[in-house]
Amino acid sequence: MSELLISKRNGGGLSVLLGLTLLGLLFLMWIALAYATRTFWTANNMANLLRQSSFIAILAIGQTFVIITAGIDLSVGAVEGFISMMVAWLLTHNLGFASTIFGAVTISLLIGVAIGVFHGFGVVQLGLPPFIMTLATMYALRGIGLLVTNGSTISIDNTTFTHFSRQTFLGFPWTDGSWFQIPSLVWMVVLVAVPAYVFLNHSRWGRYLFAIGSNKEAARLSGVRVKLITYMAYILSSFLAAFVGVLLATRIGIGNPTQGQGDELQAIASSVIGGASLFGAVGSIHGPLIGALILQSISNGANLLNVNSFWQTIITGALIIVVVYFDSLQRAKRG
Amino acid sequence: MSLASARPDPPPILALKNLDKRFGATHALRSVDLAFEEGEIHAIVGENGAGKSTLIKLLTGVYPRSSGTVYWRGQPVALASPHEAIDLGIDAVHQEVVLCPHLTVAANIFLGDETTSGGLLLHRTMLREAQKLLDDLGFDLPAGAPLSFLTIGQQQLVATARAERRGTKFLIFDEPTAYLTRQETASLFALIRRLKARGVTIVYISHRLEEVFELCDRVSILRDGALVGTRKIGETNEADLIALMINRTIDQIYHKESAPIGRTILETEGLSGQGFHDVSIRVREGEIIGLYGLIGAGRSEFVQSLFGRFPATSGRLCWLGKDVAIRSERRAMDLGIALAPESRRDQGLCLNLGVGFNINLPILDRLSLGPLLSPDLETGAAERQIRDIRIRTASRAALVSSLSGGNQQKVVIGKWLNHGAKLFIFDEPTVGVDVGTKAEIYRLLGTLLHKGVGIIMISSYLPEVYELADTLHVFRRGSVVATHTYKDVSHEAILSEAIGV
Repeated sequence: MSELLISKRNGGGLSVLLGLTLLGLLFLMWIALAYATRTFWTANNMANLLRQSSFIAILAIGQTFVIITAGIDLSVGAVEGFISMMVAWLLTHNLGFASTIFGAVTISLLIGVAIGVFHGFGVVQLGLPPFIMTLATMYALRGIGLLVTNGSTISIDNTTFTHFSRQTFLGFPWTDGSWFQIPSLVWMVVLVAVPAYVFLNHSRWGRYLFAIGSNKEAARLSGVRVKLITYMAYILSSFLAAFVGVLLATRIGIGNPTQGQGDELQAIASSVIGGASLFGAVGSIHGPLIGALILQSISNGANLLNVNSFWQTIITGALIIVVVYFDSLQRAKRG
Repeated sequence: MSLASARPDPPPILALKNLDKRFGATHALRSVDLAFEEGEIHAIVGENGAGKSTLIKLLTGVYPRSSGTVYWRGQPVALASPHEAIDLGIDAVHQEVVLCPHLTVAANIFLGDETTSGGLLLHRTMLREAQKLLDDLGFDLPAGAPLSFLTIGQQQLVATARAERRGTKFLIFDEPTAYLTRQETASLFALIRRLKARGVTIVYISHRLEEVFELCDRVSILRDGALVGTRKIGETNEADLIALMINRTIDQIYHKESAPIGRTILETEGLSGQGFHDVSIRVREGEIIGLYGLIGAGRSEFVQSLFGRFPATSGRLCWLGKDVAIRSERRAMDLGIALAPESRRDQGLCLNLGVGFNINLPILDRLSLGPLLSPDLETGAAERQIRDIRIRTASRAALVSSLSGGNQQKVVIGKWLNHGAKLFIFDEPTVGVDVGTKAEIYRLLGTLLHKGVGIIMISSYLPEVYELADTLHVFRRGSVVATHTYKDVSHEAILSEAIGV
């Protein structure tokens, strides 16, 4: 077992406990919705729910890396929108390799990395507060995207590309006897979450993220390359946001730089509901995944129940306060 | 009130009868009976956790007491809130100043009791009055400057001025000199004596017993939440106090270990850099080199250059017989130099993470197999240090913040032992720790020496370097003005070399 997992267990089982509480909350919501509506607990709807939550889940994992270092990345929604435009723009032009699916996706992801490097530069080299740095790129990226497209939407005509997000892979029998087909987007979450988990909990770089979030000076004086690791956190966040941007383009078949607005806040909310502390040094991979599922279940369930969609955001707000309050209570009890 | 009623004198200004405080299962104060006479300077001493802080918090109305009675000038009082304490005339000046650094000195003096007219602040009136108050008290401080422009010592003077303005009759100083320079301490003492002359009762809390003997009239000793005695200062001595505080006679807090001296680890010749010049020292395996001097004398700058923070500009630096240049902290660490910084909490440790996490942090690359960490190697490395230097912790996963000060210091040391450090630099290793923990840290230095490392110890606390260092270098104005071998001259001689008289 890694040091961190053990520390959770011996330290009052805090993170595991919170994880289980959240899972319980999620299942409770699902059971309630399954009884309240006929359409919720169907293979179709559940696959849809997972598909809908996949984007926020991936964004939230990237966000969590940054939050663990006591930073924040407000730009992920804008990066997502910008990259959806970028990949569409590349695919609809005749640029040889850059306009093949492989080329366009690779270039888009590299642009994501470049944006992360820029964030790292601002935070590490210029010493700007992460909030300000990423707020600035959030605005700027939307503007650049609108300049490139002149405010219009780019339709993607490459059907191989746009079919991807509708595909499924493997499946299992559902409770009502029908077949649950696992959406490709869910596999994308798995593709991100498993390496992210190993990286965060079983590699030294993950450990360094926690050290920096806990005490930057102590980390530096322990030989941790604080600047490099900080860069890494922002690069991971932007890279994953770019990945979500590509997935978004396949899903909606268009590129539009105004897409993904508000996703950064949902990602932060998922992370925080999942137990990450904005003061740093606390966070996990399973937390934001469950957080994203909870948020999406609220919205999915509310739709099926014909609840005014305005209520969804109110419920989300209330939930954030309740979860974070109980989390802080537990921490205080232990500390 | 047997203490007071037995005599015709006026009752004590403040008397505690059977004062008790529990936090859950913890019995922080056990039926304390204590009387403070008007106009005396009354010291309270005890180890960390003896109940001093709790007592202050009860007296200033921060915590409610569990049981017992408090008499103010003979009348029982509730002391249920800080406001009530302040209204009575009880106030405290804390070790770490609790004022607002961004506000001006004047605004801080008036904080919570601003002069207003029709709900609007009268800035100019307050500024004028604050300046007059500071001048009257003999402080050379600008009332209009932001508090953060002042040194900690000056901020403490501001805190005192603030208490003075509120008409304080009973003023508690909690470890006021922990972060003060000698001069600042001297002016603080002068101020305290002036306050006493004006009839203010002073409670003085300090770990530094020599201060207690210099300043106070009486001293009360707390141990494990109970009052074990009150002595007139003329009728006691340091050894007596220490025995009462820790309930065991340490004839030697300063346990000097003699380890075999080995080869030379580090040698400097005429090393110069920012803030120090022409420093030549030698550190060998198994010895402690003490660097003593006033704050700003250049000793910190010197070791910072050894640790690569501000590289030396000229001179020779020799590590294990080879000439080296240490241009970065990383380079220093790679060579095998470890710095235990002055402020453990700010610079040394990740407090809200585990003991094992902290110990292994500098060597994670060695605990990895390929890209992944090896749980077995991690466990082994952490457990070995916990066992070797006897870190008292519930487990290697326990948070560092849950450990005592001495054990936190051990975590810092364990971290660097793991790393294979040959030279340990301790910057003020015992600031703000109690006598018991000090003894523990000194013993730990002995253990380190037997492991064949060399130690450089910086301290502003002369007895400590005096008693422990094999070689003591005295710094003044950036250079070494004197070098002594173990105890070859008196305290006074070293002090005058450091001050330059």
